Amino acid sequence: MAKRITIDPVTRIEGHLRIEVEIADGKVVNAWSSGQMFRGIEMILKGRDPRDAPLFTQRSCGVCTYVHYLASIRAIEAAVGVEVPENARILRNLLHGTQYQHDHIIHFYHLHALDWVDILSALKADPQKTAALAENVSQARWGGTAYFKQVQERIKTFVESGQLGPFNNAYWGHSAYALPPEANLMAVSHYLEALRLQAKAAQMHAIFGAKNPHLQSLVVGGITCAMDLTPDRIAEFLYLWKETQTFVRNVYLSDILAIGSFYKDWAALGGTSNFLAWGDFPEGEKEPESLFMPRGVIMNRDIAAVRPAEQEKVTEHISHSWYEGNTDQHPYKGQTAPQHGDYDPDNRYSWIKAPRYEGEPCEVGPLARMLVAYARGKDSARKLVDDTLARLGVPVTALFSTLGRTAARALETVLVGDAMEGWVMKLVENLKAGQDTIYQAWTMPDKATGCGLNDVPRGSLGHWIEIEDKKIKNYQYVVPSTWNLGPRCSNGKLGPVEQALIGTPVADPKRPVEVLRTVHSFDPCIACAVHMIDPRSNEVYKIHVL
Amino acid sequence: MMDQKSPILVLGVGNPLLTDDGVGIHAIAALEKAYSFNPPVEIMDGGVQGLNLLGFIAEAKHLIVIDAVRNGGAPGTLYRLAGGQIPRRVLQKNSLHQVGLLEALALASVLGDPPSTVILGVEPLDIASIGLEPTLPVRERIPELVDAVLAELKLLGCVPQARGE
Repeated sequence: MAKRITIDPVTRIEGHLRIEVEIADGKVVNAWSSGQMFRGIEMILKGRDPRDAPLFTQRSCGVCTYVHYLASIRAIEAAVGVEVPENARILRNLLHGTQYQHDHIIHFYHLHALDWVDILSALKADPQKTAALAENVSQARWGGTAYFKQVQERIKTFVESGQLGPFNNAYWGHSAYALPPEANLMAVSHYLEALRLQAKAAQMHAIFGAKNPHLQSLVVGGITCAMDLTPDRIAEFLYLWKETQTFVRNVYLSDILAIGSFYKDWAALGGTSNFLAWGDFPEGEKEPESLFMPRGVIMNRDIAAVRPAEQEKVTEHISHSWYEGNTDQHPYKGQTAPQHGDYDPDNRYSWIKAPRYEGEPCEVGPLARMLVAYARGKDSARKLVDDTLARLGVPVTALFSTLGRTAARALETVLVGDAMEGWVMKLVENLKAGQDTIYQAWTMPDKATGCGLNDVPRGSLGHWIEIEDKKIKNYQYVVPSTWNLGPRCSNGKLGPVEQALIGTPVADPKRPVEVLRTVHSFDPCIACAVHMIDPRSNEVYKIHVL
Repeated sequence: MMDQKSPILVLGVGNPLLTDDGVGIHAIAALEKAYSFNPPVEIMDGGVQGLNLLGFIAEAKHLIVIDAVRNGGAPGTLYRLAGGQIPRRVLQKNSLHQVGLLEALALASVLGDPPSTVILGVEPLDIASIGLEPTLPVRERIPELVDAVLAELKLLGCVPQARGE
């Protein structure tokens, strides 16, 4: 007699997110975002050798191992004052670009698409009509009546086996699903193809990363994968890159346009006001000038008034978070002194701090980066954005929305992915010319501070380190989900996701798929439970959502 | 660098910064330190990568997962789950982003031939506190956990050799 067991997933997540919304007349009128889990990795780092920080911080988040690794290395390099050789910079960019391709594909298909795509409706689709639709809107390599029939059979078997697991969403058949059955079937088939692709593409990280999924090839001062800089290995990387980027252009981008055309009402919902991008992918020694994705901050949706972004202007507020005190500190001065209390939306209600730029909440992530690139006059970004707006037939204001955020993620994947080929070619050129330096020696100072900024798939990330007696005295980081999902600040300003939810229509408070659409569009790296209050009927629903 | 992928994947999962949650990672480290295998097997630290491990899982023919398993037993209790004993999905779901390992296994079956899978687990005492080592009741079972992996590998026709002999 086998015992029933549960593998408790609590340990598999970076934190537990609780979203509470208040509804009046079928719309969200107030919202609170609460992180329910304390992360105190900073405390473990104190007193250690600074070189330990990258390996520790890469374990601090579920899936974003490389991005913390890179930010941490950059913080130490800033502190010790070392400039990495060009090849090391290129290889880091290639690993980082790979991360964008993978994360964005996985986010759209496996973590977000089922908010828009009704899997059960796909079972009603006519495979022949689906094949005709797919022929028309996507340049995918697979298709045809027989193929879609087979996909449908597979889903059917899976659904009937009662193990909907990853598809275990309670909202199938909800009135907010707008796609016809054939579009649903096509999208579900792409869900499966994306799974296959990501399985293959994980190998890209392994080529220059020494190990996967926890890369080990970066060191303070450069990179260590000298033995992988061979024609064979580089060709292998290019081959996988090409397959991935072909999918991005021919399937992911086409799907965004096809699915987006059924959800144009979401071009007016879920927007925020301010956008911050540290930028990333340095293409030369001078930063921020050489960043391929530029640095900048945009306030009040005023794209024309984009300004330089400076890390000195960041503070973290804790007046609504479970920490001692009320001070708003720059991360160098930041303390992590947890003090858990009751969940009280009027007072303290989250483990997440509230980062602010010059006192303002900012959205970070693909939309912020694409807006800053657009504002900075980056031609390739402008063309992609303008073409997409034209094809969807929506105005430029549509960018400030849930649909805009989701589309920006795909556009950015095209942009960064396309640039990777040039980076590989530059590396090959350097190696051919006998330039094979990948490491620059350095010495550990007694005392120093350093900041490592990067912009990672989910948004702006910063690590701040203070070194004393060659040991870590203080270490703080501000992660993208903190920017996007943080609570109110000392001035009572709502965090980005809280602001974005205001005005969202909710057809059925028991099944708030509309709320999830906006929350998921931020790609939170936290679990989510939605707690609905409807003051008029005075009912409280607690809904746990995948 | 191995050109020939081994059909056997030994996958430790968990977060080594969270006390007992890291037991799978500590166990594969102990395994790798003490033994080599003929023919070689793929030993992997999967961290908390969840769905991102699908590629490695889908490529394997035989999968041995080592993890902390909550089953209500005393801390340190060892479990072996195979075939139908492996939950088809997580019942107590509160993970949005980490579509977990069980989901990855379920999806591997939608994609094609999933590997034959055994999960070797230890009942944890503490998976919430930050700590680089498992608690004592869990830590002292790691040698037995390593032996359990060796037993599984022998069943698959793989001969372990103690290093340094």
